[in-house]
Amino acid sequence: MNSAVPPSTAVPAEPTHRAMEQAAEWYALLKSEEVSEGDQARWRAWLNGDPEHRLAWRYVESVSSRFAPIHATPDPRRTADGLWQANTLLIKRRRVLAGFVGLAGIGLLGWASWRHTPLPLMAQAWRADHHTATGETREVVLSDGTRVWLNTATAINQDYGSRERRLQLVAGEILIDTASDTYGGGPRLFYVDTPQGRLRALGTRFTVRLDGEQTFLAVYEGAVEAHNLGGKRTVLQAGQQTRFSPDALGEVQAADTAREAWSRGVLVAQDIPLREVVAELRRYRNGHLGLAPEVAEFRVFGNFPLNDTDDTLDMLAAALPVRISHTLPWWVSIEAAH
Amino acid sequence: MNAPGYTSPAIEDLYDVHHGWLKSWLSRRLGSTPDAADLAHDVFLRLILKPAPRGFGSVGEARAYLRTMARGMCINLWHRREIEQAWLDTLAARPEQFSPSAERQAMVLEALNEVGAMLLDLPAKAARAFLLTEACQMSQKEVAQELGVSTRMVRKYIAQAMLKCMQLQASQTASDLLDPDLV
Repeated sequence: MNSAVPPSTAVPAEPTHRAMEQAAEWYALLKSEEVSEGDQARWRAWLNGDPEHRLAWRYVESVSSRFAPIHATPDPRRTADGLWQANTLLIKRRRVLAGFVGLAGIGLLGWASWRHTPLPLMAQAWRADHHTATGETREVVLSDGTRVWLNTATAINQDYGSRERRLQLVAGEILIDTASDTYGGGPRLFYVDTPQGRLRALGTRFTVRLDGEQTFLAVYEGAVEAHNLGGKRTVLQAGQQTRFSPDALGEVQAADTAREAWSRGVLVAQDIPLREVVAELRRYRNGHLGLAPEVAEFRVFGNFPLNDTDDTLDMLAAALPVRISHTLPWWVSIEAAH
Repeated sequence: MNAPGYTSPAIEDLYDVHHGWLKSWLSRRLGSTPDAADLAHDVFLRLILKPAPRGFGSVGEARAYLRTMARGMCINLWHRREIEQAWLDTLAARPEQFSPSAERQAMVLEALNEVGAMLLDLPAKAARAFLLTEACQMSQKEVAQELGVSTRMVRKYIAQAMLKCMQLQASQTASDLLDPDLV
C-alpha cells in the first residue's frame, strides 16, 4: 500500500481508567467555585499533554451534554425532581424483585418504544375528549347533533362556546356531518383546528386527516373554507379535495369519493396500487405489515373490510397473485405467490 | 423477503414453544395483560432482529435466556413509565401556551430516560448531587447546602458520578447496543 493517507494515530477507542479518573476529577474541580486560574492552566496542560486525555475529556463532554435538554426545559428543577422520584421508585422496586440479577439496560432504552407514537402526542391523545385505538372506528354525535366519525388512531377535542363550535383534531382522521345549529342567538360558526391551520364549515360533510406535516381536506357536501397558519385561504366546494401545510396550500383536486367509505368500515379500492392499499391497512393494524417490492404495483379493485384486516389480507391473496406470510401473528408480509 | 432481518423457521418454533408461558410470566410480573403482550412481542421481535449468538442447546436454555431478556425489559418498562409520568405531570403543571413543542418534548423525554438510566447505577447522594449540578446548573455550594454535606464532599460526588457515567458510556460504545449480555 502506497497511499498518501497518514497512518492512523492509533488512539484507542476507550481511554484508560486512569485518564478517565483524572478527567472526572478535573471536571469536578472546574465546576466548583474554588477553581483558580492556576487550576485552569494546569487543566489545559493536562488536556494538551496526551491524546489519551483529550479522548477522556470527550467522554466528559458527552456525559455532560446529555443533561442539556433537561436544563433547557422551562422548569429544570421540577423536571429533575420528577426524574429523581421516578428513579427512587425504581430502586425500591428493584429491591423487591426476587431473583434480580443486575441491570445495565441502557442499550435497551428506547427499544420498547420504537413502534409507538411519539409519547407527547400519545399523551395528548389520551387526554382528548374522544379517541379511537388503532383498528377502531367510532361514530360520535355531538350536543348540537353534528355527527363525527373517528377513523383509526384518532383523537379530537371538543370546545363548544356560545358563539362558535370548535373541534381540534389532535391525531388521525375525522369525517364530519355538521348539523344546522339551533343554539340560542342564531347559528354558531363551526371550526376544525389542525396543527397546520383552521377550517370553517359552511353547512357541510367533509373529511379532515392529519398526514405527517400536512392537513388533508376533502369536501363531499356544502363547502369548507381553509386557512393555514401562514394566513393563506381557499374555499373548497363539494367534490374537491386538497392538502395544506402551515406555509403552503396544495392544489385543489377532484375529491376521491371512495375515501369517505371508511366511515362505513369499508376500504374502497378503484384501480389503486397495492402499496397504497397496504399503506392504508397499516393504519388499522398493530405490528409489522411488510410488502415485497415486486408486488407493490399490482392494481387493486374492490371493497375491503377495515374492521377485520386479516380478512382483507385473505381477500387480497385470493384476488391477486400474492401470498400472505404469517411469520408471527404481528409480523405479516405480502409476497409474490410462486 | 422484504422484511429486515427476515427470519428462519426456528423463530416460529421458539415462538410456539415459549410465547405462551412467557406472556403469562410477564403478566404475573407486570399485573397487566396488555403490557405483558407488548413485552412478549418485543422479546421475540428482538430475537428476530438479533438472534441469540450461539443459538439454544436446549429448551431450558432458551427459557432462561428469554426470561433474562424479559426481566430486563420489565424493569425498563417500569422505569420509562415512571419517567414519562413525571415528565407529563411537569408539563401539565404549566399553562399550555408555555409548553415546549412536541418535538422538543420528545427530546427532553429521551434525555430523561438516558440520564435516569445513567444515574441508577450511582450511590444515591452522588446521583442527586450530579443531577442538581448538571440538570439544574446549581453551584456545588448550593448543592452542599441542600444535601447537608460539605462542598468538598459534593466535588467528590461529582467526580465519582462523572467517572461512573463515562465508564458506562465507554462500555456502551464498545459493545453492541443490543448485546443480550447488557440485559
